[in-house]
Amino acid sequence: MERAPYAELGGKRTRVKRGLSAQAGRLCHKKSMATALALKNLWAAPDKAAQATTERSWVRWSLITVAVLFLGTFLFLPLAVVFVSAFAKGVSVYFAALREPDTLAAIRLTLLAAGVAVPMNMVFGIAAAWAIGRFEFFGKSFLITLIDLPFSVSPVVSGLIYVLIFGLQGLLGPWLAAHDLKIIFAVPGIVLATTFVTFPFVARELIPLVQAQGNEEEEAALTLGASGWQTFFRVTLPNIKWGLLYGVILCNARAMGEFGAVSVVSGHIRGLTNTVPLQIEILYNEYQFAPAFAVASLLALLALVTLVVKSAVEWKAHKHVEQMEAAVVSIAAPVMTPLPGVKAA
Amino acid sequence: MSIEAINISKQFGKFAALDNVSLEIPSGELVALLGPSGSGKTTLLRVIAGLEFADSGTVRFDGRDISDRTARERRVGFVFQHYALFRHMTVFENIAFGLKVRPRDTRPSKKQIHDKVHELLKLIQLETLAQRYPSQLSGGQRQRVALARALAVEPKVLLLDEPFGALDAKVRLELRRWLRQLHDEIHITSVFVTHDQEEALEVADRVVVMNHGRIEQIGSPEQVYNHPATPFVYNFLGNVNLFHGRLEGDKAYINEWETGHVVYVRPHLLEIDRQPNGGSHFRARIKHINAAGPLVKVEATAEWGDPVHIEMSQEKFSDLQLLKDESVFVVPKDVKVFQSGEVSRQT
Repeated sequence: MERAPYAELGGKRTRVKRGLSAQAGRLCHKKSMATALALKNLWAAPDKAAQATTERSWVRWSLITVAVLFLGTFLFLPLAVVFVSAFAKGVSVYFAALREPDTLAAIRLTLLAAGVAVPMNMVFGIAAAWAIGRFEFFGKSFLITLIDLPFSVSPVVSGLIYVLIFGLQGLLGPWLAAHDLKIIFAVPGIVLATTFVTFPFVARELIPLVQAQGNEEEEAALTLGASGWQTFFRVTLPNIKWGLLYGVILCNARAMGEFGAVSVVSGHIRGLTNTVPLQIEILYNEYQFAPAFAVASLLALLALVTLVVKSAVEWKAHKHVEQMEAAVVSIAAPVMTPLPGVKAA
Repeated sequence: MSIEAINISKQFGKFAALDNVSLEIPSGELVALLGPSGSGKTTLLRVIAGLEFADSGTVRFDGRDISDRTARERRVGFVFQHYALFRHMTVFENIAFGLKVRPRDTRPSKKQIHDKVHELLKLIQLETLAQRYPSQLSGGQRQRVALARALAVEPKVLLLDEPFGALDAKVRLELRRWLRQLHDEIHITSVFVTHDQEEALEVADRVVVMNHGRIEQIGSPEQVYNHPATPFVYNFLGNVNLFHGRLEGDKAYINEWETGHVVYVRPHLLEIDRQPNGGSHFRARIKHINAAGPLVKVEATAEWGDPVHIEMSQEKFSDLQLLKDESVFVVPKDVKVFQSGEVSRQT
């Protein structure tokens, strides 16, 4: 792979020796050290440095204290309590609680619901984003509003909607009963409710992305002889993959943690229609605190993993965007383009 | 391959982008579609490519009607104004794309693809940059990659949409000469869209001047520049002085407002003299002299108050020793008079 940077001067390409790139690297390194030094000075003697935007030290410290106390009490402490309470009666009780058949059934059901809802929303999300981002049609803003509906309506209401449609007294109830189909108080209802509540995540994430990218690359692929599917998998998808992944992660976290809507349609039948959040509630209501927190710790863990993956994806996507912005800048000033390989360490 | 567009019309909402346009491009020619923005030139190009479908009319390649074929089936090479390179692919992968997506039975082997791509990289003089990503290239390099990508599938027609529009002036000049050279080597029927008259006149075999969704004139650069068919073409190609006048026999009388004839004179076809020479002339007062560049540009005010632009050679200028605010005689050497499409001439 070619790693040497090049300089472009009036259209004449001149190769620059590696020595220069190393020099550039050192220069950048020096610069970042200088910045670090300046920061240190600012931190050590802010009163003397007296910048226009710097407050007095007591103001700064009291603001920092308030912020730390608030974050500690409302965010960190509850998270710690979950894990402490989960292990309160020892590690053996913790794992016994997780091995309990009803709990295992709840975990399986949650995985199933998320396993169906997330791929479905992924497909719907991509389709919706594509339609909205690429085409002008009658009722477009109505469709966007509709996609947001699950976010704006209370999950309990979402659950009730399904009871009113598919329940025994509901719109389609008699027909379903006649054909011996069970949706409410059964797995299909839970999957439906989960899908409904998590619908906007992928679509919302992708719409602005698809709009910003335009369709020139796809047109180029078509003129080069690619089929619709080839264009989608080789051109469209790679361009939206980070946004898509981000949406899917959030969608999955919500699908597994959903309580309200699922609670209404589930019927709370142990071992059959209980998802993890519902199982936690039941255990807690029966004063089985250690098992309740043990199962809760699973969801807390999921949240932490989600946050880590989300940050990783955000970082990666940001780099992706930076690369594209660099592309734009290099049109304006194509004098010297450093490569990723020779970035300052 | 020859291209024929017959009676093409295309509406966007209430806006008529193309209004019954017919155009014939013989095989192997390099044609420029020239016009201001909104003149329909890009729409016509996209209709030929199959990226847009006309409301009515026919497109023919080599006499075959391909109006209903998709862009994929038409197999044209298309180069976009903003390159439209696949940003997640390297230069090599970009150029190889059209070959890799072919159905298995017509797809070349890996080795063949590799050889073909390197042949094209050589053609665009970017052999060493095969593993770069588009974001690591300059604008001119990107546009060359886009061209190589379009040529990789060996199209019979090459269509370029404002190919140099996003580049700075110097790179633009270089690249358009290179395109002309390339065309002389491979003789592929090519159509490019531009709003830059200089670019069109320099590069193309034939120029199609468009305005308001219609074709104003088709001709060689020499024809459209020296023998413009309509006032629009006269105005659009190069600088021009506009005077109102009246036509009597084969004589035009300038400064007669009521008659509605318009007299067009190019700045370099106006001559300055200190003495009246007996022929047609008018008086003017010199307001400003710009002597930088190959031609000296003189701004003057005609005796009836209109501004007049005159261009002359440096030699002539140093002979005359013109001064600001001096009163001189201006002699039109060649003018064109237009009225409702009619063309008359007075020398």
